[in-house]
Amino acid sequence: MNKNKEQLLNKRYKAEKRFRLYGQSAIFMALIFLTIFIFKIFSTGYSAFKKTWLIVPVTFDAELMMLEQNPSKEDLEDADYYDIALKSMADLDPNANEDQENELKRMVSYFFEREIKRELLNDPSLIGKTKDVYLTASDDLDQVFKGNYPRDLPEDQRRVTDYQLKIFDQLVELGKVESKFNLSFFTYPDSREAELAGIASSFMGSIFSILVCLMIAFPVAVLAAIYLEEFAPKNRFTDFIEVNINNLAAVPSIVFGLLGLGILLAVFQLPRSTPLVGGITLSLMTLPTIIIACRASLKAVPPSIREAALAMGASKMQTTMHHTVPLSMPGTLSGTIIGLAQALGETAPLILIGMVAFVNTIPGSPLDPAASLPVQIYIWAESAERGFVEKVSACIMVLLGFLIIMNLFAQIIRHKFEKKWS
Amino acid sequence: MKKNGVKMIKISSKNVDVFYGKKQALFNINLDIEENQVTALIGPSGCGKSTFLRCLNRMNDVIDICRVKGQIMINDFDINDKSCDVVRLREKIGMVFQKPNPFPKTIYENISYGPTIHGMAQSKNEMDEIVETSLKKAALWEEVQDRLHEPGTGLSGGQQQRLCIARAISVKPEVILMDEPCSALDPIATAQIEELIDELKKDHTIIIVTHSMAQAARVSQNTGFFHLGELIEHGSTDKIFKNPENKKTQDYITGRFG
Repeated sequence: MNKNKEQLLNKRYKAEKRFRLYGQSAIFMALIFLTIFIFKIFSTGYSAFKKTWLIVPVTFDAELMMLEQNPSKEDLEDADYYDIALKSMADLDPNANEDQENELKRMVSYFFEREIKRELLNDPSLIGKTKDVYLTASDDLDQVFKGNYPRDLPEDQRRVTDYQLKIFDQLVELGKVESKFNLSFFTYPDSREAELAGIASSFMGSIFSILVCLMIAFPVAVLAAIYLEEFAPKNRFTDFIEVNINNLAAVPSIVFGLLGLGILLAVFQLPRSTPLVGGITLSLMTLPTIIIACRASLKAVPPSIREAALAMGASKMQTTMHHTVPLSMPGTLSGTIIGLAQALGETAPLILIGMVAFVNTIPGSPLDPAASLPVQIYIWAESAERGFVEKVSACIMVLLGFLIIMNLFAQIIRHKFEKKWS
Repeated sequence: MKKNGVKMIKISSKNVDVFYGKKQALFNINLDIEENQVTALIGPSGCGKSTFLRCLNRMNDVIDICRVKGQIMINDFDINDKSCDVVRLREKIGMVFQKPNPFPKTIYENISYGPTIHGMAQSKNEMDEIVETSLKKAALWEEVQDRLHEPGTGLSGGQQQRLCIARAISVKPEVILMDEPCSALDPIATAQIEELIDELKKDHTIIIVTHSMAQAARVSQNTGFFHLGELIEHGSTDKIFKNPENKKTQDYITGRFG
């Protein structure tokens, strides 16, 4: 009898041990996947935050720039920089023939002319002198310098020619190639050239979309939630509404995109590809999330607080506005932020309303065409150039960082302002 | 208060029935409550005494499925009449609940809330005065006067309940309803509240629901005994406890059931 009991007890302990082990291995697996995922993104993406520059001596020849004596600021603006830019690249190899000169030119970005111009505008006394100017290297050389480019491929299978590599290696040896923090990744809009592509346009697009989404979804959702939770009679009709709000939260986002396309663009003729339309579409998606969060936190306010206020002679409205709603705000706000974070990562509906268009300007308002961060990732992931690979990962890093900050903020609000009940 | 030797009736209920959906919770309650006296409602759990209490300030309105029939006259005015404004009614009839439920705000704000929404103070000074007198009447002033702007939820259970009483009396109600106000408190805090109730009856009519017969005997002048939704017996506390007419009352009081 006693022995039997002991066996039973042992069995119970073993079962618990096994269960713990299952749980631990599940967590371990999840952590492994997460680590691989993050490691992959960081190892591919970190190099995008560096940019390779070629340091090229440029002679600011007044004659080549078609400049008169003592040029004014306007003259400098209008001067012709193409020739000196071309010449300084060609001068890298004095023996180059015409084809090779062309190849030399393609070692830097097509912004080289602008970069040289900026140098002179900053310091007009450079006219007639020679100065080392930092020029953005072409995306292929950038990748070569970062070690991401397979140099051992046969020449006809790569975009960098042997000649370019030879000159580039000479420059590296002379210390004329430098890698610096890639500020332009954050300040430039999208570009077809990987070395000039940045996230400024999509970042601003995302911000504007989220703001529009917040301004529409938050008030509507909070009012709907307060009415449903505190004022609406409990009957079949409100039950029906509640079920449908929950269903709405589960509707695939692309359906909302179709709605935006069919109604906002087709019927209301709102401007295509704009954060305004994107934000309205996203707000439809965020609405149920906020309503559910707000109702849950209204429900969490203890009935004793409502009773206390009602018994003091507060009206229903006063009870709600003075007590219930303020007490539910931390939960509502953190729910809102989580909903916005979801909207921030949404791609499909934005593609449908045209925010996938190539936008090489930075939007100044929600009415300007823009992309958004996740759509930017999609656009770059589709591009063939090797230079975009690291950009995709870098853009994911920015988006993840953004999301982490938002979720952190939601946590802080929840913990800081949550009241403890008596 | 006695006028010409006759006790004044403050609240009078006639044929009150209460239903929760299809279930009837109170059957034909006829009970008169005397002014400036403490009336205790006793009875086993689920007998309907709290339900009756909540009829008096129409807190049952909050419960969707609850229906109240019959007449409840306060100052000769039917509170179930359509013309009765529930906000005005609750200003006149304060309530203290079973569990202390201060607002999660400061002590000062807890007290000033009622006077604010009813527009009872014209200036900050007046409000300060209301807060002070309310807290003094609730015998809490000495303990909290230095921390009026700290959260009310930081007080001990007994202090919180006195804060709730202070909050209830801040709007100078004629009647105070107390729903088992001491059930969550220790004996010392209970004694303080009982003392307070005795003091408050000078200015207010008090109706207290309690599970403790000793408490009913200590604080009340009148007692009503409820059982299964019916008012079995009511009368002066002395009579109910010493010489009950009904067998059930006697059984309950002597602890044979309940």
